[in-house]
Amino acid sequence: MKLEKLMRNVYFADRVLVTKSRYGSHYGEKIIDGFREWIPWRSKLAAMILKGHRVDFRGDERVLYLGAASGTTVSHLADIVDEGIIYAVEYSAKPFEKLLELVRERNNIIPLLFDASKPWKYSGIVEKVDFIYQDIAQKNQIEILESNAEFFLKEGGEVLIMVKARSIDSTAEPEEVFNEVLEVLSSRFEVLRHGTLEPYHKDHIFVHAKIF
Amino acid sequence: MRLKYNLWFGVYEDGKVERSSNLEESFLKAENEESLPFNIPDVGFEVFGGEEEYYTALRKTALAIAEKLVERELRREDKYVIALVKALEEVEESINMLNEKLEDIRVVKDSEIAEEFENKIEGLKNLRKKIEREIEEMMTKIAPNLTEIAGAKVAAKLLERAGSMERLVRFPASKIQVIGAEKSLYKAFARMKKGKKAKIPKHGIIFLHPFIRTLPKSKRGKMARFLAAKIAIAAKIDYFRGELDESLYESLRRRYEELRRK
Repeated sequence: MKLEKLMRNVYFADRVLVTKSRYGSHYGEKIIDGFREWIPWRSKLAAMILKGHRVDFRGDERVLYLGAASGTTVSHLADIVDEGIIYAVEYSAKPFEKLLELVRERNNIIPLLFDASKPWKYSGIVEKVDFIYQDIAQKNQIEILESNAEFFLKEGGEVLIMVKARSIDSTAEPEEVFNEVLEVLSSRFEVLRHGTLEPYHKDHIFVHAKIF
Repeated sequence: MRLKYNLWFGVYEDGKVERSSNLEESFLKAENEESLPFNIPDVGFEVFGGEEEYYTALRKTALAIAEKLVERELRREDKYVIALVKALEEVEESINMLNEKLEDIRVVKDSEIAEEFENKIEGLKNLRKKIEREIEEMMTKIAPNLTEIAGAKVAAKLLERAGSMERLVRFPASKIQVIGAEKSLYKAFARMKKGKKAKIPKHGIIFLHPFIRTLPKSKRGKMARFLAAKIAIAAKIDYFRGELDESLYESLRRRYEELRRK
């Protein structure tokens, strides 16, 4: 097997994106000798990496993950920050049940069944974090990001968000929506990089930014 | 400036932590209006005696709560009551059936088999009592007003017919009045369509309620209409507000007395 390192615990194994992991399959992905296949069509973070953008993780970060869903991406992020802590927030019970399977097998995920638009409800639980990852297809997702950043993001902390044009405005051109999002973000954050997730996720962009 | 903060493991005030005796309770009350001026683990590591101990306790508490919330959300308590009501009906039917067979056997011979039937029936009667008690307990918990007004048995049967509390609260009183009498209701509709005289049923499941059953026939319709209206209100209060409203039962009792005296 030919390994090419991309990021902490993230590799190309014979040209397949994988994370180094001592755990089993969570969502049907293949396991190859201590590596878990990371499917870009299932995970926007995987798509972003395949589009060439890297995020430098040390591995001991404290991460606030908004919109954890059933834990597909969380499982790989937990492989990456294997010495850190992920606070995984999700409001819907059905996918959360699946996420709990992941929480039981790992010790670096704290499950929080809360509404991410009400960060004060978990303000006495979540610590100051280095990183906020957000994948919430909601109209007010930027507002949600900002209020969470205000509560929990450390000085100089970073955010990585996945934006779906249609959830913010279903009538406007995606390009317009993305420009607007970037503009709103730039008042509080320094945008490090952004780009599309085509062909893996249509009309989506990622934005990697750092708080002022 | 307020210096009191609600943390998942207790209350932080003036640089000191009053540790909670029930972590699951304090976890759900860990709300604060504003961002905390300190980092929670800085306080928590000391309280729990180390980093590892802190995160172990946090993870365990969060998981326990998440499991409970998911359980409540997905396999809601109303579904449990519905399953119990259905089970109760089956158990009752079994008791009747076994009783019949027992009599059939006894008529011919008082054998050991007959005795065994008696034991089985006794066992089922105990089970019936247990299920009834559980239904009553659950109904009081999920719908205290509805249970007070309609009685646990009627309330549970209405819930079973509706399929969930969410659907029951959307039923109009006129529907609640005739739930369980659908057959005669549609028969009456069919006759009306043909221009014939028809008897529209006055009550379905709610006939089981003592306030209807004990009234003379001519007054049952009035009482049924009144009761159904109160049931509809009670169910809505339970679902949307969840507090007990004493005045409902009182108005129901007054109406009953009024009709009885007339």
